[in-house]
Amino acid sequence: MEYLSSDKIGIIDFTTSEVSEEPLDEELVRENIGGIGITTILHEKYKEDDPVVLGTGLLTGTLVPGSALGVITARSPISGKVVHTPLTMYTGIELKYSGFDYLVIKGKAQNPVYLWIHDGIADVEDAGELWGKDTWTCTDQIRKLMGDDVIQVLGIGGAGEAGSELAQITCNYWGSADRWGLGKIFGEKKLKLVAVRGMGLIEIAEPEEFVSQARSMIAEFRSAPFSGRQGVGDLLAELGHEDFNSWMGPLVHRHKSCFNTPIPTNTFLFLDEEPQLMKESEKDEPGVLVTDPLALLALKNLGLSAKDAGEALKACAKQGIDPYRVALLAQENGKTTLQDLLGFLPEMKASPEVSYVQEIFSPWCPRRPLWGDFGIGSDESEISQWWNRRQAVAYIFGIHPIFALMSPQLSEDKLLELAALGTDIEFDSNTIDKIVGRLID
Amino acid sequence: MGIRIDPIKCTGCMACELVCSYHRDDAFAFLSACIVVYRAKEKKDYFGVIVKEEESLVIARPEGLEIKGIGAVDEEAEGEGDSSAKPMLLREACDLCEDVEDGPLCVSVCPHGAVYTE
Repeated sequence: MEYLSSDKIGIIDFTTSEVSEEPLDEELVRENIGGIGITTILHEKYKEDDPVVLGTGLLTGTLVPGSALGVITARSPISGKVVHTPLTMYTGIELKYSGFDYLVIKGKAQNPVYLWIHDGIADVEDAGELWGKDTWTCTDQIRKLMGDDVIQVLGIGGAGEAGSELAQITCNYWGSADRWGLGKIFGEKKLKLVAVRGMGLIEIAEPEEFVSQARSMIAEFRSAPFSGRQGVGDLLAELGHEDFNSWMGPLVHRHKSCFNTPIPTNTFLFLDEEPQLMKESEKDEPGVLVTDPLALLALKNLGLSAKDAGEALKACAKQGIDPYRVALLAQENGKTTLQDLLGFLPEMKASPEVSYVQEIFSPWCPRRPLWGDFGIGSDESEISQWWNRRQAVAYIFGIHPIFALMSPQLSEDKLLELAALGTDIEFDSNTIDKIVGRLID
Repeated sequence: MGIRIDPIKCTGCMACELVCSYHRDDAFAFLSACIVVYRAKEKKDYFGVIVKEEESLVIARPEGLEIKGIGAVDEEAEGEGDSSAKPMLLREACDLCEDVEDGPLCVSVCPHGAVYTE
């Protein structure tokens, strides 16, 4: 596969300590495009070894607006189904440029290991020194060891090591969209973390036309209904929680975008520092990046102050535990102060019952259009059907799943056209239908 | 005239960096860009943008914009450029996309109007 690709699938077997490689076959892309179109095929192929499959969409890391997405496909410990967790911020692009399109991580290591993915190489390293440490310490140590502060780290903390169903695979210092407990699978494999750095080059089949179309879309989005909206507060206000900004506002430092996403969907809260400070804080850990608006909302609903909710998010991220389900369990058990919640964290092992247990796309993403008009009605089953299809498309092409809910301009036809321009592959117009039909039963 | 950045408007999306690399390579390769999002101090939410010009470095820190002559760049500033694994001083200088009709490209792709010319 020549374009929008590194032409490489890495297969890492912890049981045999072997790393092998396969080219990315163009026919596989023609039939399945990319992202979860292909991670699901790789998962099925190696399912006997309970694999964790990492991948990116066909358009990930390009100039197409919102092309931030990486994805983890694995078996959910809470449902047994094969599920998908989107990776946002910069993780998707570092993976895209790492020299691998997909990574299959299978088998179980005897002793703790970590994976170092870079320059088309997958190194399996001893993680004896990292096991037992929290995700913040591990991220710091890996970056220091490699001498590179923008390495992306998918890791687990104490929850994943202990086999908790609430264990989350975190991204660097922050929580992720993993509501499935995939951190438990890392723990079972004795995989402490996957460190990724992308310094490669991605070729485009028709570069001028591809970039021209992407630039037109970026220009168009400047006057989109979401233009000027920022961060988790505006997202939640759009979802009907108008008081959220006034609750959180005094702690907001800055809003942050995921790669090439025209609206920032993350918000950094300063918990231990003056939020107006623009100079570099002298404190090592002044706050927390909110990457999961609905988890913060669930913590607010416990009655916590914004500062305490931020502290809870930070503690969850360090231990690698899903803050959304922590909030549900805290509510069920009457742990509605920060102190009670933190004291209760070590006891949280089994997942609470969740409404999304039979789904495959992360409920981290709101379940309705945001600011955008997709021409769908108000019928709940119609919205649900639309949402699942829209998520599938986002996870195939590599579009930020939340941004996909506010960008009707990124239609399926448009994405297919961009994919064809980028790869020189003529995709059959029924390709998306076929893939989605296979993914959503 | 040169590329300037309003650091407070920037949300760190890196569209400028990606399109700059396309200008150099007709492909996407972040290491080729002369405009780089500085994102090494993630835990402190301290990020900005650096541009390599022929004679100077444009350093857009959150607290303000600074333009330093290349000869006057101290170790600290160069250290910041190093966050991207290829030192700023080793990169090609910004040519304002002189061969692009409606360039500079980085200005045209910034969703927030944070990149401009002056």
